[in-house]
Amino acid sequence: MSTLATPVRAAATPNYLTSERGILSWLLTTDHKRIALLYVFSVTAFFFIGGFFALLMRLELVTPETDLVSPHTYNELFSMHGIIMVWFFLIPSIPNTLGNFLIPMMIGAKDLAFPKLNLASWYVFMLGGMVTLWAMFRGGIDTGWTFYTPFSTVYSQTYVTGAALGVFISGFASIMTGLNFIATIHRLRAPGLTWFRLPLFVWSHYATSVILVLATPVLAVVLSMVAVERIFQVGIFSTPLGGDPVLFQHLFWFYSHPAVYIMVLPGMAVVSELVAAYSRRPVFGYTFVAFASIAIAVIGFLVWGHHMFVAGQSVYSALYFSLLSYMVAVPSAIKVFNWTATVYKGSVSWETPMLYAIGFIGLFTIGGMTGLFLAALGIDVHVTDTYFVIAHFHYIMVGGTVMAYLGGIHYWWPKISGKMYPEGLSKLSALTVFLGFNLTFFPQFVLGYLGMPRRYAAYPAEFQYLHILSTAGATILGAGYLMPLCYFFWAWRHAPEAPPNPWRATGLEWQTPSPPPKHNFEVTPVVTHNAYDYEGMKEELGLD
Amino acid sequence: MAGQVLSTKSYLLTFAALLALTFTTVMVGYIDLGWGSMFMAVLIATMKAILIASFFMHALLEAKLVKLVIAGALLWFLIMVTLTLGDYVTRAWMPYPGK
Amino acid sequence: MTDPSALMLREQFGTPEQQRESATFGMWIFLATEVMLFGALFTAFAVYRMKYPLGFDEGSADMNILLGSINTAVLIASSLTMALSIHAVAINKQVRGYLLLLATAALGLVFLTIKFVEYYQHYEQHKAPGISFVSDKPQAAEMQMFYVFYFVMTGFHAIHMTIGVCLVLVLALRTAAGSFRPAYHTPLEAVGLYWHFVDIVWVFLFAIFYISGLHG
Repeated sequence: MSTLATPVRAAATPNYLTSERGILSWLLTTDHKRIALLYVFSVTAFFFIGGFFALLMRLELVTPETDLVSPHTYNELFSMHGIIMVWFFLIPSIPNTLGNFLIPMMIGAKDLAFPKLNLASWYVFMLGGMVTLWAMFRGGIDTGWTFYTPFSTVYSQTYVTGAALGVFISGFASIMTGLNFIATIHRLRAPGLTWFRLPLFVWSHYATSVILVLATPVLAVVLSMVAVERIFQVGIFSTPLGGDPVLFQHLFWFYSHPAVYIMVLPGMAVVSELVAAYSRRPVFGYTFVAFASIAIAVIGFLVWGHHMFVAGQSVYSALYFSLLSYMVAVPSAIKVFNWTATVYKGSVSWETPMLYAIGFIGLFTIGGMTGLFLAALGIDVHVTDTYFVIAHFHYIMVGGTVMAYLGGIHYWWPKISGKMYPEGLSKLSALTVFLGFNLTFFPQFVLGYLGMPRRYAAYPAEFQYLHILSTAGATILGAGYLMPLCYFFWAWRHAPEAPPNPWRATGLEWQTPSPPPKHNFEVTPVVTHNAYDYEGMKEELGLD
Repeated sequence: MAGQVLSTKSYLLTFAALLALTFTTVMVGYIDLGWGSMFMAVLIATMKAILIASFFMHALLEAKLVKLVIAGALLWFLIMVTLTLGDYVTRAWMPYPGK
Repeated sequence: MTDPSALMLREQFGTPEQQRESATFGMWIFLATEVMLFGALFTAFAVYRMKYPLGFDEGSADMNILLGSINTAVLIASSLTMALSIHAVAINKQVRGYLLLLATAALGLVFLTIKFVEYYQHYEQHKAPGISFVSDKPQAAEMQMFYVFYFVMTGFHAIHMTIGVCLVLVLALRTAAGSFRPAYHTPLEAVGLYWHFVDIVWVFLFAIFYISGLHG
């Protein structure tokens, strides 16, 4: 990729981890790589907190009666699980960790366009998280992550305003990140790095950033209005003053539907890189995949009403949103076909990241297809607000995004830490995650189709066997997640050192030492190759 | 490119035009035009906004990319307004059975 | 004497030109987020205006057109002084730039003061939803909804104005300290864009709250 050969440096040369020491050098850093690690710490903590709430829910659901927790507590559990997982894990997970770390490196820059804004975003994110956790433990939240009115504004006895405030604050971190990425990708690309030479990771994150900046402000407004209505008891979204609860849903889903693309596009970004690297081929149909990312971002703003088919919107709106929801599946399908074509007849190797990537492709396809079922009005009326919907979005968010996140963490771990990870153990945990995931969520499709409503702690006895399977799966899945937590800690200290390019992949990030120096590149690279030019770079990469 | 400034005269003329439009919108506002009153108010406001953006913010002199950002923001606002209002406008067209 | 713009060059940028273009580009992106922020409020307002034209017109007729018009003129004047202050710094008239920035901030404070007076008037007339709202008009509920939007939207705007006034004052101090030259005054340009945008928002707020029901 670069015409300059970067010499492999001796281990004693300072890198971004060792160049400065002390807690303040981390808390006041403006280095995008250190900020990425701050975010890794945060999102990992939030993931396990959100997962803990899920575990309690699954334990309760083992029996048909509400015997482990009260119904009110159960409402709080699913609300807290949703809020933490959506806003404090899924949305920041890949962009603020891998995106922060890699985007400047992939474009040959020394840092993001606005490094101090980047650090500020982490503090804002943490403030939002602390406020949300405090609200949850001080007063609880039982409205679901969707905050539907008038329950949230009039009837709920929990600390809705506090939870809404925490989410509101974290939204600004999202906006700052998106703004930073857009400015960086436009302005800081190295010489020769035209748009169509960019890695698809960058394209996908660019599309994600566009959604971040255009959608998140609407969330800020709608949560503010919920807070105003609740504090002043003036019914903006409830009926005494002529308010319309459906208007809340319009504004909420205007953000929250594109938000799901914020959550999945970065996963797709990772998968594009992994599939190319482990097939040793350019991604098939590069231009189509690049434009598909943009198409997903744009069309994703036009479909939000499919969350409201039974809410009381007009039939014409429903028809329109259903049609557009079918269309939005097309660019995602294009990506799946192109990734598959990349692997086909490639020189494939099955390291752990590739296992996660293939897992993503399969599970995302199932999740995406069931999304199409939901886009059909007739089917939606039957399965909306059932476990079918829950299974659908968990296949995409967990089977998709979380697996992509794990795959990406493994893939770039050598670059980030300068160490390898234990391959055997990681393959075992990937398999555990895959099996645990499917055992948890496939029964939920059946449950939903048979009529099990979501957000219910009690259910008819005939559903119990499916719930037991699901909880068993969740336990296995949890074990699968704990394993990387343990072995990455171990590997940070004890694993063998990593070479600059252990996977012999293309990409500017592999042209630097592992871990990279503070400023990424001693000399700004000049780019003359396309993104995945395995043919043209055979010699440089040491491939036969 | 960024770093544009216009002449003092341009700024003063823009200021005068904005004051004139403010006066106009108030005068027109006193006339009862039915739904046209809101329409005229928003129309004149749009004209003022265009003046502020073009002259005080130099939007027309900026790079294509900036113009794209402006156009994109306006388009996205239109999407939000149109599809949301579209629901309310079309609710009466085909009521649900039993309504 | 080293080029002052070079002294301000941050390490992730190759040239001062790239830095300035990135900063203003970043501000334009931020303004796009603000369009969506206020846009969501305008959208909600539009829905209810469509549903309750009479109640909303009554609410609008209630507004103090004199204070509203004065405030509009004040903000337009402040945009003028903001633009002229950047112009002054760009031709190295530092003192003039400093004074014009102070004028901008002062006009902003005038706006906020008048707004506060209006809010107090509404409170005294029992037109403050959630705190004290009394009306014997037939469309009292819809009128109250109008007032909710009035307070929320002008409130959001006032918060943005307050932040703007603080930013302008900080810039005035930096101008007095000699931080800006013809070759480098990017923060002024960025804050200028923000200031003009907040003015544009007011222009639309004036239209929908003060003008639309004026004929009533």
